[in-house]
Amino acid sequence: MSGPLVDDAVHEKIMAAAEEIKAWGEAAERDARDLVNQPTINNWLEAMGLESERFYQGEAPPSMAQVWTMYGQGGKHPDRDPLHAMMNVLTDAGFHGVLGTNSEQTYDRYLRVGEQVRVTTALDSVVGPKSTGMGVGYFVTSRSTWYVGEERVASMLFRVLKFIPKGGTA
Amino acid sequence: MKLETGEKIPTWELPITPTLVVSTALATRDFQDVHHDRDRAQAAGSKDIFMNILTSTALCERYVTDWAGTDVQIKGVSIRLGAPAYPYDTLSFTGEVTDVSDGIATIAVTGSVSLGAHVTGTVRVAA
Repeated sequence: MSGPLVDDAVHEKIMAAAEEIKAWGEAAERDARDLVNQPTINNWLEAMGLESERFYQGEAPPSMAQVWTMYGQGGKHPDRDPLHAMMNVLTDAGFHGVLGTNSEQTYDRYLRVGEQVRVTTALDSVVGPKSTGMGVGYFVTSRSTWYVGEERVASMLFRVLKFIPKGGTA
Repeated sequence: MKLETGEKIPTWELPITPTLVVSTALATRDFQDVHHDRDRAQAAGSKDIFMNILTSTALCERYVTDWAGTDVQIKGVSIRLGAPAYPYDTLSFTGEVTDVSDGIATIAVTGSVSLGAHVTGTVRVAA
């Protein structure tokens, strides 16, 4: 079998949407629901089985950075959330499958109890089409940046594969 | 603790229970049904509920700090996801210091399940 993995017109539409969404830059800014707080840290420490005096003395575990700004139950994505906008473009083009493939977190410093965290999200890249073990798809990479006030405290590159499950067509 | 290239971290074996998968998903505020509802996970094509990505990241942090001590300053955790971590399997971590330069130690970490590597990545620590 030869020919493109994805119809040229579909591919061009996806890449045009990607360029438009990338141009939004850091968008979908929102505050964490709660301040960095001890009970949430305690629940995390218990669940992970991580024992450390350090995290009872005002600091939060670094890999909790993302936890503070999770949407929670029934949380609503802002209209211009770059990652979800790009996922929707691909879902509408028939790429229904989704699989998280990479998470690269960088911590500028540990957060402290009482701090208000906010996050922004930007679309970093859309690469494809690629033939993968899951099916034909596009890799969508977003960058989240966490701030306290104007200070950047953590960032994350997050990559998902949006794919047409094998046996399906776009 | 002084970290040196080539140092190996002792293997850590963590039994994966439904309680672990569910409690860690909720503790990371991740309410996606595939992490706590087996019926929904199976309807979505999975064998069972499976561990969420924030927990895979957190367990890499724990693996390194259980060994190096929580006084170390973690600078980053980068992971690639592979085989799902299902209940009743075992997550087995291995790790090695692969580089120490410019004040940063890079520790390569792999967390394997019976299906293969669940997580491969690096934890960067101030050295």
